[in-house]
Amino acid sequence: MTMVKIEKLYKIYNQNKANEFTALKDINLQIEKNEVAVLKGVSGSGKTTLLSIIGALKKPTSGLLEVDGEQVARLPDGFTSKFRSQKLGFVFQSFNLFNALSVKDNVIQPLIPLNLKKDEIEQKLLKALELANISHKKDEMVQNLSGGEKQRVAIARALINEPEIILCDEPTANLDKQNSLNFIETIKELKALGKTVVVATHDSLFEEFDFIDKIIKMENGQIVE
Amino acid sequence: MSDILLSNEVIVFLFIQSVVLLLLGIAFFNSISILRYWDFNSTSSKQFNLEKRSYLVVLIILFSLIVKIAALPFFAYIIDELALIIPGAMCGAGVITANAYGEFLLPFKVFILFITGIWLILNKQDIKTKNFLYLEKKFWLFVFLFMLIIFEYVLDLYYLTNISTEDPVTCCSVIYGEQSGSELPFGLDTPKLLILFYLLYFLTLFTNFSKQAFLSFVSNGLFLYFSYYATVNFFGTYIYELPTHKCPFCMLQKEYFYIGYFIWGSLFTGTFFGLSAFILKTLLDKRLKYTFRFSNIFNFIFVFICSFYVVRYYLVNGVFL
Repeated sequence: MTMVKIEKLYKIYNQNKANEFTALKDINLQIEKNEVAVLKGVSGSGKTTLLSIIGALKKPTSGLLEVDGEQVARLPDGFTSKFRSQKLGFVFQSFNLFNALSVKDNVIQPLIPLNLKKDEIEQKLLKALELANISHKKDEMVQNLSGGEKQRVAIARALINEPEIILCDEPTANLDKQNSLNFIETIKELKALGKTVVVATHDSLFEEFDFIDKIIKMENGQIVE
Repeated sequence: MSDILLSNEVIVFLFIQSVVLLLLGIAFFNSISILRYWDFNSTSSKQFNLEKRSYLVVLIILFSLIVKIAALPFFAYIIDELALIIPGAMCGAGVITANAYGEFLLPFKVFILFITGIWLILNKQDIKTKNFLYLEKKFWLFVFLFMLIIFEYVLDLYYLTNISTEDPVTCCSVIYGEQSGSELPFGLDTPKLLILFYLLYFLTLFTNFSKQAFLSFVSNGLFLYFSYYATVNFFGTYIYELPTHKCPFCMLQKEYFYIGYFIWGSLFTGTFFGLSAFILKTLLDKRLKYTFRFSNIFNFIFVFICSFYVVRYYLVNGVFL
C-alpha cells in the first residue's frame, strides 16, 4: 500500500516575481506503508521543504501529493489540521518542546483538542512514554533533561496519537553519536510496529543500517538518486 | 438632489450598500475567473492558486452578505424614521408608497434575503467537503445574486432620491384601511382567512416533521402569502388594539415595542427554512434535516406571537375586536 505518492511536484517561492526561487523541482516519489525513507542532502537541498509538504505544513505550487490516499495539499485548513493530528507525528531538529512544562504535559499536547477522557489520556501517555523509552522521566521538567532525553520526549509526543506516518526533520542534528544511534534504534522499533517513517537528514549515520528501505538523495530541490 | 439624502440614516444606508456593492463587485470578478478556469482534476499551479483565491473570495462574499442581512431591518427602520419628515406619512407604509419604486423594492429585498440565505447554506455545505464539491454551484448562485444586488442598488438610489419632502403621501389607514379597496385575496373574509392561516400552519408542521421537501416548499410558500394578509388584516389589529388599524409597518415602532421586527423576522426566517429545504435538496442532492427543524421553530414563534396578542386581548377585555 502506498503511503506517500508524489508526482511532478514543484514548490516555488515568490512565483512570477523578481526574487522567484524554486525550492522543489519535478519531484516524483513513492513511499510504501511500513517503509523507512531517508531524505538526504546538504542544507538548502530542499529536503525539509519536501518533508513539510508531506506533513501538510506547506502547500506545493503544483503537482500531486497523496498521503494515505488523501490529497493533503488541497484539503481545506480545518481538514488539514485534523489530518495532521490523526495521521502524522512530527519530530523536529530543535525538539520544539515547552521547557516550562513537565515531560507528561509536553507529550499529551496533541491530545488536548481531542477532548479525551482522563483515563484514555493516561493510557495513551504511558504507552507513548514506554515506546520512546522515557517513562522514568514522566514528571521531570523538560528544562532539566539532556538533549537525548528531550529527543525521546519529542518522539513520545509524536507517537501519542498513534499516527501512521512519523516525519523527522534533522532528528540527530543536536545529538551526540550514542544518542543518535539510540534514536535510529527507536526508528527500527517504529518500523517493527508497522509505522511509516520519513527522515530528512544530512547525517551519514543513517546509511549504515539495513532496515532503512529508501535513501533519497536531494540536490538543488531535485531528487538525484 | 432629494432632501431625503440629507437624512443621516439614508446616508449611512447608502454608504453601507455602496461599500457592500464594491466588495461584492471585487468578489464577482474573481468568481468569474474561478468559474472560467476551475478544474479540480488538475494539479497545476493555476488550479492551486484558484483554490487559495476561492477562500478569500468566499470570505469577502460571506462578510458582505451578512452585512446585507443586517441592512434589511435597518432599511425597515429607515423608512419608518422617514415618516417623521414626509408630510402625510404616519409610518413606513406612507414612505414606501411615496413613489412607484418603493412597493417593488421591499419585497425584492426580501427575495434577495432568501437567495442570500440559500447561498449561505450552500457555502456552509461546500466548506464541509474536502474536494470543493459545491464550489461551482455556489459561485454561479453568487453571480446570479450579484446581478440582483446591482438591480437592488439601482432601485435603492431611484427610490431614495425620488421621495419628496413636500408632496404629501397617504397614511397607512388610507392604504390598508376599509376604504382602500385592498381586499383579501381569493374573495376570502377574515374568518376564512384565519382558518386557512392555522390550517396552513399545521400543514407546514406536518410537512416539516415528515421532512417532505417539496410539500414543505409548497406549504411554506402558501403560509408566507396568507400570513401576510392574516397579520395585516387580523393580528395587527390586536397589536394596535384598534379594529380599523391595518398596517404592516406601525408594529415596527417603539409604541408597539418593535414587535413587528420579531413578527416579520420569525415569519421570513421560518418560511425561508421551509422553502429552502426543497431548493437545497435540488442543489445539493441531499436533505438537510435542520432546515425542517428551524422552519418549525421560527414558524411556531411567529404563530405564537400573533396568537398571543389575540388571546391576551380577550383575557383582558373579555371580548374579541
